[in-house]
Amino acid sequence: MAFLDVENVVKDFGGLVANNDISFQIEKNEIVGLIGPNGAGKTTLFNCIVGYYKPDKGKIRFKGKDITGFKPFQTSREGIGRTFQIMKVTTGLTVHENVMVGAFLRTEKRAEADKEASEIIEFLGLSHIKDYHINELPIAIQRKVGLARALATKPELLMLDEVASGLNHKETEEMVELLKRLNVEKHITIFLIEHIMEMVMTVSGRVIVLDSGIKIAEGPPEDIVKNPEVIKAYLGERYAKGK
Amino acid sequence: MLIIDALLQGLLIGLLFALVALGLTIIFGVMDIVNFAHGEFLMLGMYAVYWTNYFLNIDPLLALPVSAALGVILGLASYYLLISYLLRGPAIAQLFGTFGLMLFLQYLAMFLFSADYRMIERGFLVGKSISFGPFVFEATKLAAGVLSLISFAVVYYFLYKTKLGKALQATAINKEAATYMGIKTEKMNAIAWAIGGGTVGIAGGLLVNFYYAYPMVGILFVMIAFACVALGGFGSVKGVFFAGLLIGVLEMIFPVFGHLVGSDFLGPHFKFTVVYLAYFIIVVVRPQGLFGWKN
Amino acid sequence: MEKLKDAFDFSDFSRSERIGFIIFTIFLFIFPWLGVSSFAKTVMIQFMLFSLFGMGWNTIGGYGGQVELGKAQYVGIGAYTVALMMVWWKVPFWISMPIGVLIALGYSFIIGYPLFRLKGHYFAIATICTSLVLKDIFDNWALVGAAKGIELPIHDHPDFLYMQFKSDTYYYYFIMALFYIAIFYMNWFRKSKLGYQLRMIKDDEDAAESLGIDIRWCKIKAYSIASAFVAVGGGFMAVYNLYIDPASVMELSLSIKIALMAMLGGAASMWGPIIGAAFLVPLDRFLGSWLGGHKGLTGIDYMIYAMLIMIVSAYQPRGIWGIIEDLRKRGK
Repeated sequence: MAFLDVENVVKDFGGLVANNDISFQIEKNEIVGLIGPNGAGKTTLFNCIVGYYKPDKGKIRFKGKDITGFKPFQTSREGIGRTFQIMKVTTGLTVHENVMVGAFLRTEKRAEADKEASEIIEFLGLSHIKDYHINELPIAIQRKVGLARALATKPELLMLDEVASGLNHKETEEMVELLKRLNVEKHITIFLIEHIMEMVMTVSGRVIVLDSGIKIAEGPPEDIVKNPEVIKAYLGERYAKGK
Repeated sequence: MLIIDALLQGLLIGLLFALVALGLTIIFGVMDIVNFAHGEFLMLGMYAVYWTNYFLNIDPLLALPVSAALGVILGLASYYLLISYLLRGPAIAQLFGTFGLMLFLQYLAMFLFSADYRMIERGFLVGKSISFGPFVFEATKLAAGVLSLISFAVVYYFLYKTKLGKALQATAINKEAATYMGIKTEKMNAIAWAIGGGTVGIAGGLLVNFYYAYPMVGILFVMIAFACVALGGFGSVKGVFFAGLLIGVLEMIFPVFGHLVGSDFLGPHFKFTVVYLAYFIIVVVRPQGLFGWKN
Repeated sequence: MEKLKDAFDFSDFSRSERIGFIIFTIFLFIFPWLGVSSFAKTVMIQFMLFSLFGMGWNTIGGYGGQVELGKAQYVGIGAYTVALMMVWWKVPFWISMPIGVLIALGYSFIIGYPLFRLKGHYFAIATICTSLVLKDIFDNWALVGAAKGIELPIHDHPDFLYMQFKSDTYYYYFIMALFYIAIFYMNWFRKSKLGYQLRMIKDDEDAAESLGIDIRWCKIKAYSIASAFVAVGGGFMAVYNLYIDPASVMELSLSIKIALMAMLGGAASMWGPIIGAAFLVPLDRFLGSWLGGHKGLTGIDYMIYAMLIMIVSAYQPRGIWGIIEDLRKRGK
């Protein structure tokens, strides 16, 4: 039994097939990357798993439980955490309070949520900005706040949407380190959608490639970069030319 | 027979409802703001024609330009003095801001004109009726229906056939894209408010021929307009036309229906309750409206 | 226990706020003994009543950020339950009031379920509609007195069971007790799980959902809490005024007043609704009695009132409390 099992998922937006019969599995403690050119259907697939969309066909199982058609709050309760590529810049809750809201998913007590939030903020090295509002922070820090918030829900599977976009080289490296630490120290399985190739290749143990709604390749990063299908569909435009 | 009569009367008043709701839906479409003071624009339009008729003894139908002009001025003044500031704030402030405007205009009318109920008494069509076979129509209502239809058609032509109208449509569909095409959002907003005010001013001028003007009359019609806008699909011009007719018919048929089954609970007291309920059910069951395109 | 501690714990407020709160409390306590006129007492009672309404609204409207404009229907439910049960079956206030609250709760769940499928403008208008429907029904329903309303039977001598007193002072202390219960409740609420979740929903619904929050259910809960608060106030209105009709307890303008006071004072803040009521109730009353009484000046009071609403909405949507906070920040 796979940890996350995606089976023949089809998502059709009135004739535009965003996901066509996609199947793959993720095992516990893996770090898996999902890549593909723009419009390949990555975000749609992501949203089908997380619950923003209901797949038209196919099944999604998490830890053996059928979660097809679950709402986002339900998948979150099952243990799937997620981050957003673009954080809404809000002025209401502070960073600490944001993380507390995540922690409230697993506890009724404020003191516990408070403690949990402090620990996570400490772990991510955000203590110095914990009383700021999201709109006051640079984008790299905003991402980390999103991550902290998701971690507070104690996820077993963490789904990250373009977690490195808009970050500079150094910030990206930091993020990679952080993800590896989460994977090793907290035993969190990570599934990331990414546009930045370097990032995916360094952090993932396995990569899945989508193109025009179809899964065209799957395997370790070193194989993927050599796969002719992938080069044609995705790498072609960016890498193949120069090499 | 009763039913057919009610149906025709309903269609007639429905034309006017559609004109009332037209401005609301245009403003909503262009800038995603709900104008609670829309009914008060209507109310002031009613007074404009009433007083022109009263003091100058001009036929109410010829006084329509006065209410139209007042509507346009009100729309523009509201936009530049209030709405453009509200746009910077959160949605809740926008709602309360137009609420404030609504209260202000209501009590301004109360202050200026007192709470008395006023209706046009002198006019070419007042008190006359026209019959087609077995169906008798009040001349004022018939005129209101026809003139509403004409006004609606003019605005429709403007929106779909003129360059400025198309620019307005473009802003409604995609503000950013329209900006790239060189369309100034600020200007489009102002035009939307001018049209919104003008059309509802005319509607008020027509309404006062057969309905009392009083300071609080707006709330009733703004709720009807909301129902029309919701039914037609927020922002849809075509939708609001048919929705207006439908609400008009609903409102007239309902009491007749109640009368036929002999139930007091379906009586005319509740004809507007039906409108409120209709709004509630429509937005819950079908938020895009019956003819909606903009969600 | 922890809940109780949270309710009475004001330690996260600034020193000046706490001192202000204590002085204010002492002032409220001795107010009736300062030799004030009965008009002043009435104004204070109204002030506390509207604070109660505003604090209730603040749960869903302030913390939850939902533009709720239909609270009057729950004032009506609270008031009518007390009045009708007293007239029909001579049920004491202390039984009928809780029943009214229960009915309001039940009704709010039924209405809230479809209502919270909606967002933004759609939601705001729908709340008005539901309230108007109920008012229309009561306006025409002969059994409950229709538009004429109902008068409560007046007892010859003071009766605690039916909350009938000769002097306003008793009503004053009773509403003051309710007012403080509301304050302590809100002090707990803003620190509760639901309070945090609502603020998250207000900030960013997508993020809230991703954190396992059932948005619709949270909103319904907050809506019901708000409705219960308001129904308590409605019950008080029935025994205090001894006469109710749909125009006084179910009118749209009442719904708007409730929301406005909270917003003008500062939505989503502890003191906002109280400040709003402290500002607007006297303004409303004094303007009303000074200007409204003069022939030819009818309406000026409301025009000033409406101007204030427009100015605050345009320049400081966070209300008076927002202005105070800004000043404080600048002072630092």
